[in-house]
Amino acid sequence: MTDKPFNIDLGRLKTREKDRSAQAVEKTDRAGEELGFVAREPQKKRGRKPSPRTGQVHAKVMPGISEEIANEARRRGVQQGVIIEEAWKLYKNKSGI
Amino acid sequence: MPTVVIASPKGGAGKSTTAVLLGTELAHAGANVVMLDCDPNQSLTLWADRGPLPDRISVLSSVSESDIVKTIKRHDTDGQIVIVDLEGVASRLVSRAISQADLVITPMRATTLDATIGVRALQLISEEEEALDRKIPYAVVFTMTKAIKSKQHTGIAGSLAEQGVDLINPPLMERASFSALFEFGGDLHTMPAQGNMEGAIENAAQFAQAVYQRLAGEMG
Repeated sequence: MTDKPFNIDLGRLKTREKDRSAQAVEKTDRAGEELGFVAREPQKKRGRKPSPRTGQVHAKVMPGISEEIANEARRRGVQQGVIIEEAWKLYKNKSGI
Repeated sequence: MPTVVIASPKGGAGKSTTAVLLGTELAHAGANVVMLDCDPNQSLTLWADRGPLPDRISVLSSVSESDIVKTIKRHDTDGQIVIVDLEGVASRLVSRAISQADLVITPMRATTLDATIGVRALQLISEEEEALDRKIPYAVVFTMTKAIKSKQHTGIAGSLAEQGVDLINPPLMERASFSALFEFGGDLHTMPAQGNMEGAIENAAQFAQAVYQRLAGEMG
């Protein structure tokens, strides 16, 4: 057996024109999905989205009021900040702000 | 230069072994070869890290669904052959790679299970041909075959041939040296002798030549 059993003629190797547009990729994805070839890589954004509530209020209130706000928020299943936001909205309406 | 995609949704069909044998034998025959490792198990990368890469071969690791098309485009240039090794699952990455192929090779063990699952790759190629309005040549190579063909092998080969599937001859036989590539790295020509090396080299070279003939349009 010779060391090189066959020779490659690079000039004979042919590539075909391929459509690499976004539309072609979309068509490919659709054709694959119909046969179960679906996206299997982990998506970048997983899990619970971060809360948009990032502003913090440091208000000292009379004894018992903080407990009442906490209890109401717990009863409704919302954050305590939601109660503060609603109170502020009522105040703005009342004051015409 | 052509892009060869090694695809089968069946794990353990011999995709990475086929990719390494094809890449190393084509490089040995004088071609520049870029190998893309798209398998999360990184079999090609493990092979590449085991020993010095043979001349004219480079390996790119961790090619993902989002960058497969542009990575193939970047390397699908004059003077080199791109070989894409895919993971053994039905994924979007597989369908996108196939869309960029000049030849898809589906390695398949000669078992009913491998044939049943492997045929899904052929169905996908057919769907993509229709969607993209482009012919995507494909072929099946039997892997891990024995010297004496089983009835199952003969039956599956006959059934595929009847359906007009291009079967690459010779199949890749079960050989110690083929699996040892992932132990020693490099190629069959530099590896310490494992079993019948002459037979293994001849088998791999004839397989690579059969693929080359398809890429060069010598198959009619």
